[in-house]
Amino acid sequence: MLKVEINRTLPDFKLDVAFSVDSEVLGILGPSGSGKTMTLNCIAGLVCPNRGFIQLNDRVLFDTSQKVNLPPRDRNVGLVFQNYALFPHLTASENIAYGIRHHSRSEVNHRVQTLNEKMGLDGLQNRYPQQLSAGQQQRVAVARALAPEPEILLLDEPFSALDSLTKEQLEMQILELRHFYKGHIILVTHDLVEAYRLSSRIAVYDAGKIIQCDRKGKIISSPANQKVARMTKFRNFMDGIITDIKDKNIWVSIPELGVDLKVAANGHKNLAVNQPITIGVRSEYIQAVAAPGQNTFQGTLNSSVENLTSINCYFSLKTETNESYCLEAAFPKSVAPLLSDGQHFYLYLPPEQMVIITD
Amino acid sequence: MNEYLAPLWISFKTVLVTTAITFVLGIAAARWISRYSGKLKPVIDGAFILPLVLPPTVVGFGLLLLLGKHGWIGHPLSLIGTTIVFSWPATVISAAVMAFPLMYMTARGAFEQVDTNIEDAARTLGASEWRVLYSVTLPMAWPGVVAGTILCFARSMGEFGATLMLAGNIPGKTTTIPVAIYFAIVDGNMKEAVYLMIIVLCIALASLAALAYLKKPKPRFRALTVNPVPNNMLYTSGKKDSHIN
Repeated sequence: MLKVEINRTLPDFKLDVAFSVDSEVLGILGPSGSGKTMTLNCIAGLVCPNRGFIQLNDRVLFDTSQKVNLPPRDRNVGLVFQNYALFPHLTASENIAYGIRHHSRSEVNHRVQTLNEKMGLDGLQNRYPQQLSAGQQQRVAVARALAPEPEILLLDEPFSALDSLTKEQLEMQILELRHFYKGHIILVTHDLVEAYRLSSRIAVYDAGKIIQCDRKGKIISSPANQKVARMTKFRNFMDGIITDIKDKNIWVSIPELGVDLKVAANGHKNLAVNQPITIGVRSEYIQAVAAPGQNTFQGTLNSSVENLTSINCYFSLKTETNESYCLEAAFPKSVAPLLSDGQHFYLYLPPEQMVIITD
Repeated sequence: MNEYLAPLWISFKTVLVTTAITFVLGIAAARWISRYSGKLKPVIDGAFILPLVLPPTVVGFGLLLLLGKHGWIGHPLSLIGTTIVFSWPATVISAAVMAFPLMYMTARGAFEQVDTNIEDAARTLGASEWRVLYSVTLPMAWPGVVAGTILCFARSMGEFGATLMLAGNIPGKTTTIPVAIYFAIVDGNMKEAVYLMIIVLCIALASLAALAYLKKPKPRFRALTVNPVPNNMLYTSGKKDSHIN
């Protein structure tokens, strides 16, 4: 179990986070400059927080109240740097062996060989870092960090410098890591898909704070606030007021659009009539239907952008009060021939696919 | 022959000891200042470089005041019966003070080029500060360190002004080659001056060749040049490797 509760104040930035990791992969997701890397550096001991405490399993690594601050070399934390930071003057094997100390020569060789096999580095042992591709360098960096058998592995944007094919293959390798590395893993990334695929829980960072930390499914299905929703690719937001609550559904009046929406409560408790809320809808869940009805808007297609498997459509909604409200929907490619700019559609928002954001 | 050999031997000893001292002190100072971020940084930095911009005679005179019988350092030393002025150690001290800025400046530049992430990586892998220095920082800064050493070597070999001020010209004791050449010419002894000049030229060329050889990366430091990749490794299509390139 890693417990972190740290506070670091810089002239124009404040990091104030608390979280824990227990034998799992925790994804830290956030935009650049939100304090993700600083958090890792604090855990590794490269940066000293102003206040707080860090405990790794049964060892206190840092505690301002007890005046404990272990140097990086005594923390037993494996850190993979964003630029890998391999030793350019050592071969791949020497890089990996660097952190293995107090063992006989043959024991070191054995451990390096094992890691070479596990990370798929056979045949590259005697190459220098600049003779390796970015993907190979990353694998050497991971192997090097794992060599001293750290209690936690910290991965700082491990895929940011890679092309998408290599990235996918290395993601598989990180997933396979779980078969032989039983410690905790923290993965820092700005890519939602990467965080979702690799981690079991996600902490969403924004400007030095954690704005939501939950199981990854929960982050996607019920974002705590609009910032999380935007980061998890919700595209459409509507501000409204609850007018009625019945069974498992609520009715929300959207003044801007002059309509009432039926929304599934999805286990949301503590909702009250007249409470202002925000409704979020993913573009993929919006359907084009034949006739008007409940939860249906008339929209005019403004423009569309073609993706690999879908088409993103930007509609302006026909409403009584506001003509310029824009709705983004993603339709499968099969409907592509039917689309032309200026065309009118009826757009249906399924009650079960909308999320309620109370914050 | 003794009048040629004595200055040669004295210069040889002086250059060797001076280079060793400035190597250690220059690296230590460069390492310290490149990590130090206090307010006094520009002042300390300036003080370290000062001997380079001052005329050697001024440095020599300053050292004379400091180390002389009534100087801050010279007086306490004289109480325990040691005089530095006009002794062989004086040649080392004056040459070291003059050569130090060269080692300091080149080593500092080289250290500041080293990616701090790489040093941090060594720390997270359990390396002590000492091990970080000799296994990561120094090897990565090696070309700069060697260049600094060459400059120090050359500077202490040619040191004249400060040496004359502090160590004087005592034949067989403090007369280094440059001092010997100067006084040979003053005395009209052109033959001796030319012989000494030829000797200096040979030593300078030989040492430059030796240092150029040293600067060539050893296997340990090979990463600093482009390394030929063994043919059999360029096209590996091993089972493990082929699916991830």
